[in-house]
Amino acid sequence: MSYYDIDAILTDAEKIPCTFQLDIPDLGYLDNTPSQPLKAGTKVNLPLWLAEMLVIANTGAADNKTFVTFDLPRALGNDVVQALKADPRAVPLRDQSAHFYGLATHMLDLSEEQELGSVLRKTFVTRAAEISLHARKVGSIGHKAKSKGEGASEMGSNLGLGGAGEEFLRGLDEWERSLFRKAHEGAKAGKDWIESVKKN
Amino acid sequence: MALSLPPGLTHAEVSFLAEMETVTIVPRQRLDSIDLLSGKTPSLRPPHRVDLSLWLALLLKKQRRANIVPPPWLHPASLSEIVQRETKENPTAFSEPPPVPSRPNIHQPGIAARQNNNETVQLSPPFQASCTADAPAGYLPYHWMEVAEMLLTFAGDDMISLGSAGEIRGLLRDLTEVRAAKMRDSTKTLGADGENVGGVVSLRGVGAMELAENRGFILGVVDGMRRIGASVEATRREQEEEMGGPGGGGGGGGRGDDGDDDSDEDMGI
Amino acid sequence: MDIDDILREVDPTFHSIPKEKQDLQELTRAWIAERSAPELLPWPPNGLFERINDNIKSQIEKVEEMTGDMDPRTNFALIVIQTELERYKYLVRSYLRARIAKIDKHTLHYLSTDNLRSRLSEMELAYATRHQALLHNHYLSSFLSSFPPQLQNLNDAAGINMVETPDLDAAVFIRLLKDVFVEGRGVDSDVTMDGRESDIVILRWSDAKPLVEAGQAELV
Repeated sequence: MSYYDIDAILTDAEKIPCTFQLDIPDLGYLDNTPSQPLKAGTKVNLPLWLAEMLVIANTGAADNKTFVTFDLPRALGNDVVQALKADPRAVPLRDQSAHFYGLATHMLDLSEEQELGSVLRKTFVTRAAEISLHARKVGSIGHKAKSKGEGASEMGSNLGLGGAGEEFLRGLDEWERSLFRKAHEGAKAGKDWIESVKKN
Repeated sequence: MALSLPPGLTHAEVSFLAEMETVTIVPRQRLDSIDLLSGKTPSLRPPHRVDLSLWLALLLKKQRRANIVPPPWLHPASLSEIVQRETKENPTAFSEPPPVPSRPNIHQPGIAARQNNNETVQLSPPFQASCTADAPAGYLPYHWMEVAEMLLTFAGDDMISLGSAGEIRGLLRDLTEVRAAKMRDSTKTLGADGENVGGVVSLRGVGAMELAENRGFILGVVDGMRRIGASVEATRREQEEEMGGPGGGGGGGGRGDDGDDDSDEDMGI
Repeated sequence: MDIDDILREVDPTFHSIPKEKQDLQELTRAWIAERSAPELLPWPPNGLFERINDNIKSQIEKVEEMTGDMDPRTNFALIVIQTELERYKYLVRSYLRARIAKIDKHTLHYLSTDNLRSRLSEMELAYATRHQALLHNHYLSSFLSSFPPQLQNLNDAAGINMVETPDLDAAVFIRLLKDVFVEGRGVDSDVTMDGRESDIVILRWSDAKPLVEAGQAELV
């Protein structure tokens, strides 16, 4: 993890549903009851960086209780996982979180969710293959658009791919967008190189 | 000024590299040997063939001082044989790279593996002379795409002896397409089953341009899989440690590695 | 052609590669490696870079001498020499710039231990040290000095280390130069592949590094 990585910082701000295991004095304002202690059992959405610390931190209590327990955020909840199992390509991950995989890898570190891990890996690879196909298509369409004087197409917007493709690309999370960019740039650089040889 | 490019050679850099391949020419004019940084060029005496770098051959060609002898693998018969192999005989792998030229101590294979002093630098593409007139047919050299493109563009008339430019370009296009599909599939095998992701993927026979085009994407997928699998991997390593060393326990299908544990750097988060 | 050259070419037992070609192979290999590896690699040993740089300098002098000569035949030789010279300069420049980019990106990391510092050439070390000092002074005068003293550090290692480091487990492509076993760590299993010369393999840089350092593989 690198200190100045914006995506990592934004991922750390994602909210995680947590349940406090102890009464905590003076923290009531987290639950809209200022000047009161926060009661054990209260559910509060905490940013990932804080939740992580509280899950790991030692309370010093004899029964090894942690400050909070957490549930998987809705982005990684059962509905999403079931949908991903059915067809990874049909789920717009971005609607769940722009930092879907970043969030997911944090959660996998905190919990031993074996099944979630393998669903995510299958999801990533399957969608990557789809991304690579689209990245090539966009290259050629972008070319035509340019020659018609319509300007280069920007990803995720006027791709002219037809509904399904555009919908899929709109649903890419940040990791996937970066993959798309790499695949697209590779394909484009290949075409540009052929052109440059001919011009010489 | 610093060069802030993503890792790996760009297309232009690969093309620059390919210009260092050796090709065979037939001089049309005499030219004395020239003292270059890479050594003396052979003196040119028509019609004696000589081998020299592609960039120099192209320079001579543009000045009508020489004709370039097509490399045997660019012959339509050779290309269609490779297309056939890539589509029918082995639809999942790239065809074999050219055989490595013999080396000094080839007669003593036992010593060959040991010998790694600075006296002999081991040559690799583009310095292996896989595009000369006596290179073998039926094998695509590492820089096949760039060399073919440059030869057809700048020395098209010299390539005519092989067959029509249209025919050669058609075959090259077929080859590009069938291999691009293999390239795409290579990432699918990285764990499409979501189950077994090992540490080594081989792309034997792949070409330099093909790598340049797909590098960012493929490495992105490999690195992504590693990051998603990091916690699983860390758990597996802990378990193997407890079971008395790697490979001892439920390590899955792979053969355990026998590297010493102490030097194992922590995978971390 | 010299009679010795002819004899050398027909003699099958005499395979020695001319020094100039060896140097070009090694410089090219070093360049590709530097452009592909996630971390800064050691400065080339055995004076390779210095030797090539000296050769370039004397070639430039030769070009200057030849420029006065207007004989059209040597003129073509001049074009060839200059073309090659430009190619060498491109290689050298691109190699140095790729290294500088890595040094700039992780300056504090490469200056942090003697072992890491030893990868830099003398010039690079001087550059990195001065550049870092300039940057630090600039940060201090423009904003750092208004921070509370305990927040002024740029190399705090508590929590997430502020000194960023290259990802040594990033994947790379290598070509095997020998028949050799390739060990690669993976998510679900660690694999040992019975590698053949000319294989092109994807694996983590941390696993590829020993092979590259032993001359058994090169980055591509």
